[in-house]
Parts: sequence; C-alpha cells; structure tokens
Amino acid sequence: MLDPLPQESWSRRHANHLLQRAGFGGSPEEQEAFFRLGDEQGVEAAVDSLLETTEDWSSLPWTDWALGDTDPNGDFFDPEGNLSTDNTNPNRRGQNIRRREVMLWYFSNLKQGQPLAGKLLKFFVDHFGIDSAAIGQYYRYIGLFRYFEMLRKHAAGNVAGVDAPFESDERLVPEGHYGNFRTMANHVSWSIAMVRTLDLYESTSSSINENFGRELLELFTFGLGTDFTDDDDEYTEEDVGAAAEAFTGRKIYGFRFPNNDQSAPRGLPPSSVWQNANLQDRSPKTFYGNTTMPGGGDVVDGDDIIELIFNSIRCAKHLSWKLWRYFASPNPSKALIEALALRFRDTHDYEIRPFLKDIFLSEEFYDDAIMNTQIKDAGDLLTSLEKQLDAPNLSQDAIEDVMQQLGYEILFPPSIAGWPEPDGEGNTWLATGAMVFRMNVPSIWSHRNFDVFTTARTRTSMAGYPDVDWDRIAPRDLRAIENFPLLIETLTKRFMPHRTLRKSQIRTLYERYSSIAEQLDSLEAVKELVRLLLALPEYQMQ
Amino acid sequence: MNIKLNRREFVAKSVWGATASMSLPGFLQQTLFNLDAHAQSLPPEGDEGPIILLMELAGGNDTLNTLIPYTNGIYNGARPTIRLGEQHGILPLTDNDAPSVTGNDEVVALHPNLTAFNQLWLDGELGIINGVGYPNPNLSHFTSFDYWHSAEPNTIVKDGWVGRYLDNQCDGCGATTGIFMNRRPTLAFKSDQGLSPTVTFNSPDNFSWRDMPSVGREASLEQMYRKLIGLDHATDDGISATDDTLAYVQRAAHSAMISTASVRAALEASGDLLNPNWPDNNLANSLKTIAQLIKGRSETSIYYARQGGYDTHNNQILDVNPLTGRHFTLLETLNNSLGAFVDEMKAQGNWNRVVILTFSEFGRKVIQNGSRGTDHGAAETLFVMGGQVRGNEYYGLYPDLAADARVKRNSLDFNVDFRTVYRTLLQNWMGVPASAMPDIFPSQPANFDPLNFINSI
Repeated sequence: MLDPLPQESWSRRHANHLLQRAGFGGSPEEQEAFFRLGDEQGVEAAVDSLLETTEDWSSLPWTDWALGDTDPNGDFFDPEGNLSTDNTNPNRRGQNIRRREVMLWYFSNLKQGQPLAGKLLKFFVDHFGIDSAAIGQYYRYIGLFRYFEMLRKHAAGNVAGVDAPFESDERLVPEGHYGNFRTMANHVSWSIAMVRTLDLYESTSSSINENFGRELLELFTFGLGTDFTDDDDEYTEEDVGAAAEAFTGRKIYGFRFPNNDQSAPRGLPPSSVWQNANLQDRSPKTFYGNTTMPGGGDVVDGDDIIELIFNSIRCAKHLSWKLWRYFASPNPSKALIEALALRFRDTHDYEIRPFLKDIFLSEEFYDDAIMNTQIKDAGDLLTSLEKQLDAPNLSQDAIEDVMQQLGYEILFPPSIAGWPEPDGEGNTWLATGAMVFRMNVPSIWSHRNFDVFTTARTRTSMAGYPDVDWDRIAPRDLRAIENFPLLIETLTKRFMPHRTLRKSQIRTLYERYSSIAEQLDSLEAVKELVRLLLALPEYQMQ
Repeated sequence: MNIKLNRREFVAKSVWGATASMSLPGFLQQTLFNLDAHAQSLPPEGDEGPIILLMELAGGNDTLNTLIPYTNGIYNGARPTIRLGEQHGILPLTDNDAPSVTGNDEVVALHPNLTAFNQLWLDGELGIINGVGYPNPNLSHFTSFDYWHSAEPNTIVKDGWVGRYLDNQCDGCGATTGIFMNRRPTLAFKSDQGLSPTVTFNSPDNFSWRDMPSVGREASLEQMYRKLIGLDHATDDGISATDDTLAYVQRAAHSAMISTASVRAALEASGDLLNPNWPDNNLANSLKTIAQLIKGRSETSIYYARQGGYDTHNNQILDVNPLTGRHFTLLETLNNSLGAFVDEMKAQGNWNRVVILTFSEFGRKVIQNGSRGTDHGAAETLFVMGGQVRGNEYYGLYPDLAADARVKRNSLDFNVDFRTVYRTLLQNWMGVPASAMPDIFPSQPANFDPLNFINSI
C-alpha cells in the first residue's frame, strides 16, 4: 500500500497524468521536459519540482479598493476624492464590479501561481464553501479577498519555512503555519467570511447558534459517516452542541455599524474578527469522548475542539478521502484510505504538501483506472484550455459569464457543501445547458465567437482580447491536406495527450478539414479543427 | 405513474433508461440511441398533460406587504413608514376574509400593483396559501433556498425535489421534461441518478450551436457534432464500453444534442404568441419563451422561472411614499409579466393545463428596520393560480402577528409546511400516487396531508 511507483514504470503518460492532476497540464514542450526530468533524475525529482514552495505571496496583489485600511463601505473607492455617483466615475466600484474583480483575482491565481497551489486553492474554496452573497453585501468583498487570500496562502504552502501569522487576527489564533490542514481549519474559524456565513457572529454563551459547530463536524472535518469511516466512533448531537458552545463570542468588527462595536479593541483592520470574552462560553466540555485535552486541562474553546477533532482518525480519513477524490479518483479502497489517513495524521501531522508527495509518488495514483478518467471541473476546463492555447485571462466580465454558463460561479457555491463532485452521475457540471456551453466555449478562442457570451457588456469587454498564435498551435508546414495525420497528432498531443480518437471521428474531422482547406483556406480549417476537437466529450476528461 | 406525463414513444423512454444505467452493453446502447435519433425526426406530438410553472421570487418576498393585513393594529404599529393602507389604493379582498391562527379572520388586501392577481381572485382562479414555512426556520438566503429546493429542511441537502420526482416518476421522459429559465442550474432539478431530464438556459439564443456558415462549412455544426459524438453514426455509437465516466460525458453530449433540438423544434412550431401585449423585462422574456414552448407543444411538464431582487433590507420604499421603491417595482413587474403569461395561456386554450406557484425562500420580519426596509423573516404567503385552481379561497391560516407568537426574532410562524404544497402539486395535479411520496420526500413534516387547492386536469 502506497509503495512508490517503480522508476521503470515512469512514462510520458504517467508524466502527463501527474502534470494534469497536480496542476493544469502543460504545453507539449513542458510535457516533454517534465517526462525527461523524471526519466533522468528520478520520479521523486519530478514530483518534488511540483511541490516546491517558491511562490511569492505578494505576487498577486489585491485590487486597490481592497487594500485600504479605511472603511470600504459604499460603492465608491475614491483615491482621488471623486465622489460623483455618476456611472462614468472611474472610481465607481459597485458590488458587481467588485465581485468580478475577486473572480479575476481567483483565476489569475489558478493560472499564474504555482500550478499545485492553484489546484489546492480550488479545492479549499470548495471544501470550505461560503455564502459570498452575504459577505459581498455586507463587507463589500473585502471579506472575500481576506478569505481567499488566507486559503491561497495555505495552498501555496509553508514558503521557505516561514511561520507566517494569520494576518487578520494573529492575536487570537494558536501557532501554526500555512500549508497545514489543521491550522487552516482554525484560520477558517476566525475568518470573517466563515463567521458570517455560518452565523458564528450571532452565537453567544447565552444564545447558541449551532450552524458552524454542526458544519465544522459534518462538512469540514469528520464528514457525514461513509463506508470509509464506519469503523470509527460516530459523533453525536451532544458533540455538535459542545462544539457550538466552544465557538461562542466571535464577533465581526463592524465597520458598517461601528457604533455597535464599542467593546471591540481599537485599531482593528476592516472586517476583522475578534473574541468578545464576555460572550464566550468557557465552561469545561465533553467532546467526542474527551473530558480533558491530551496535554491536560479542560476542553474549553474552539481551538481545543479543533485540536481534538484532528487527533481523531476519522477526521484524517475524511480529509484523505476528499483529497484522494479530488486528485485521483472517487472510489479508492477502504484499505487505501486507512493507509492514507495514518500518513496524513501520524507521519505528516496534517502538513498538506508532504502528504501529497506520498500520493503523487504512489503506485496507486497511476492505476489504469485512474489515469485519464476524471471529468474536468469548470476551473480545470478554463484554466487548462487557456494554458494549452497559450491564451491570457479572459476579461473579468467574460470570466464571470463563462463560469455562470458552466454552472460554476466560484463565489456562489450551490450550497455550503460546495459543488457536487465532478466524478460522474448526477453532478451539475454537466447540466445540459452547461454541456451545450462546454461544446460552444472553444469558439471564443478559435473563432473569436463572442456570441457565446450572454450580455453585450461581456462582448464589449472582450474587444481587445488577443488572437491565438496559430503558427505555434499548428505550424504552417503541417497544414497541407496530405499532412492531416501529422497535424491531428500534433493537436491531440497538445489538447488530449494519450487519448486515441475513434476512426469515425478522425474521418469526420478530415472531411471537414479538407472541405474548408480546399474551398477557403488552411488557417480557417485549422481553427475549425481545433474548435471541433475541443468540443468532443473526450476533451472533457483529464 | 401518470401516463399523461410520459407520452413519448417507447424508444425515447428507453434512451433515458439507458442514460441512467451505465452497464448496458455497447451494442444495445447504440441501437437505442439510433432509435432515439430517429424519434427526434418524428413530428412532435405535443402533450395534453398538466404543466407546473414554479415562479421563484428570490431574496425573500415581504408577503406582509403583498397580502396586507391592513386593519391589523400590530401590522400598522410595526411598520409606521412602509405600511400600506386603503389610502394607497390597495386591493381589498372584501368578498372573503382570511382565516387566521388567532381565530379571528384577518381582513386582507393585495398590493395595489397586483391587479392581475386580483382579477384572478375574482375569477376564482387564484388561491392563497398563508403561513407557509418549515420548522426551525433558517434566515440565510443560501440555506433557506437549499431547503426549499431540496424539500429537506435542516439537513445537508444532496438533491432537489423536482429531481427526485423525475427520478421516481419519469423513467424515460424526454430530455426537456423540466426547463429552468436561468443561467445557473437550480438544486431543485438535481437528480441523484444519472442525468436529470431537465435543462437550464437563460435564453434560447444561448441554448443552441453557434454555427458560422461559410464556404466549406456546408454541413451544419450540429450535423458535425452529431457525427463526432456518434449520434447519427451507423456503426459507432460514440459511447465508451470501457470507461464509465467517459461514457457518462458522452451521454451528456447526446442529451445536449437532443434537448437543443427539441427546444428549437418547439419554438419553431410555436410561431408568434397570441397575446401582443407583453412587458419588456427579463422575467417577461423568460415567461414568453415558456409560453412559446407550451404553444409549440414541448414535452415539458415543469417550467421554472425566477425573479430576483426581493431582499429589501433598505429602500423597500423611497422617501415616505409606500407607492415607490423596490418592492413596488418588483411586484409591478411580477404582476404585469405573469398577467401577460396568463392572458397568453387563455388565448392558447392552455390555461386549464397550467398551474403557477409563487414562492420565496422566506418572508420578512413583521417590524420594519431602520432603513425603510425589512429584514429576513420566516413564514410567507404563496399564491397558486391556474384554470383548475380552486380559487377565491384561502389555504393555511394567516399567522398571528402578535409579538409573543413570533419566532426567530420577529418572524412569522408557519402553519403549513411547504412540502405539503409540493406534495399537493405532484399528487393532485401531476397524478403521482401517494405511495411514491416517501421516495420523493424522504423527510416529511408531521402533517403531510395534501391541501385541496387544485382539481386534477
């Protein structure tokens, strides 16, 4: 179980599988270089190259309005003092614009950051889903920036071994560092987005709101009981109640109604969370069979609850399963999850990257039933498509439009449980309208077909979007009709490596290609070919 | 099972059966899909069956200012600025007072903009369901809508009530049995078995193949796609026999081809609408498309439309005039759009086939807030309209407005669980047997007896 992949098994297919699942794939040149790295210096060297935490956290700054430390309330960010409510005021930042700016920032992270960091950010945003409508409405999206930034830092890992403090509320959160799942759960519990989403700000010792306590157990850590955890102790309603009591008195520093916050410490940054000790239940509790902490002392507050949860094997199993499902496949064996859970909790103390290294090195990760059998979720689809085409980000309006049509609005998960997994039956990724759009969307790049957007605003925003470099995608010397076999091989290597098209598909593509090449010109034929290839069901797989 | 729901040929039914199962041998799947491709070319036979239009009012409609207890001292005291009274042209339902939880009937009136609602009431085609909600009301838009969509309050929701209904009752329905006019799919349609025979699109313009005819592109894009995914191929059905997940995606592509074709066929068959007077707004445009699909005899039995903006925390009214502001405009849009839709249905002769249900994720608090608005509440009033609705009648009781009767900080308490409203629609209108209810509604309220607001078709 979890033995390393033998060096002699390493192949281009293995290399591409790893590139695609741990990131968003690579160009044919990157594919080849990555294969050679693993071939010449060993599989571990290839895996290590994906895990390196070299990213500079400040490389993707927030937009100006989110950086200020003054009250961001209202629709205007006015560094120049322009307070005109006119629509033409360039400083106008209504909620819709702020929302799109957050979304662009998110996708920039997926594409421009370290690929694994992007992949993990996408996972965390789903795992720790939030109600961004409330955050956006009341906290003008600053709360979302703070939240996503915190998740991003955990995704980026413990850069250069620095134990960075959780910026918003470092006074309150126990020691830990980015890239550790337990620390992240704690940071989440102190973040304005979660405190608002799951009503922690309303939960006090005299009036308990169970919302967060329940979801912390049900969604974020223990999970609802599954086959993987049926040997482990079930948690009870009493445990939910104890958790809810422990997390009381966490208040939002309300820049919107500052007069309500007379008891808050002075000088907090906007949208901070703080602990109102007077509203906190500090009585000793019993939680999941524990009446004392492992190091002695009573079970008192939320930090204690999180520590106890992460000491349990059940939590380790649930998180191991979710990570395996995300990176590998939805149906691992029970024994594999058990082995993974022990690694995650005991060997790695919930450090995410060392744990992922075990996964990426394991034989199991390269099983035939796993490679090439995952449906790209909407984030995977857009990001890897743009990478393959070497295309820049869409406009922020277009990103929102595309994500809405794909049924994946990053700021609006369908429920607090996040999005359904893109692993087969019943998931909303492939709602019929979304499937139609998946087949239409490639024409944005192939034909600058901006008709696929739903609003004139979006179409206008894309006017300056650059054309694809077709000479790079399909070199001119391959475009002669008699070179079609070579052309299609080149294109499938870029877009669908290790996927064999059926004969009937090749024939259909050839007929179309030659028809357009003969009657119009070969560049038009190339564009059509790319459009059709990217509309295939096979292209939805990774 | 209601045979009226499923009037398509066996071949088409079998396709959806195949879609829900991943284990059919390849040759059989191929045969079924070829048969279905053939079925698509048959003239649409249309449907005479019952239709539901779910009209979602998103944001939490203030039903206290929609169906107004205008003589109630508590109402008038709690809403000094935003209350509506006779001086505002409200439409009193003088013929019939609303039974109340208090035992004393509530004197109520419709918002002055709800003229079409009022006419339907007078015509006996509008029923009013007061006091609708669920236990332990959640005041988050997000969570409460999850509950309304899943019909499983106070749980982690997995799928939707319409999705489960179709899973249970619609094995073999056409690909467009449910249509949601929106960009984002609704949890209500989510199935936990295979692909739900539902589609979501915000405009028919977006639910089509963006063909760009030119020299060399004589074959349409649709024809190209059909060939590439194996839908028309004589020997290659395009469904992987070895990779279940890929096979699932390939079937999704087949479904996309089939449902775009059937929506287009219905729209083409529809021609112009009969009511020339439609307002011009997003909701009216959605309802127009729905009206066209009905006229074009689409196989669809559940339509779903949505109007957002009801989260009236502030500026529910402007200044001091309650005949201004967001709620006023929203109800005007709702009334005029639904009114045009009803007129169209009557002109088409389809009014007896249609029932419309308006609902919101929650109502709003009794007491107005400091911003000339109202905050999230709990129980609400639903409106149900249709040619077969037992109208001019109340179902459920008007909630008690008194302070000590309120739940969750000044919210109204419910006395009708919304799941019984859904059940009534499915059982009394769609003809679903009572025995199917435990599967469709895994969690049931204490009182789950159907209401009597509708006759069968």
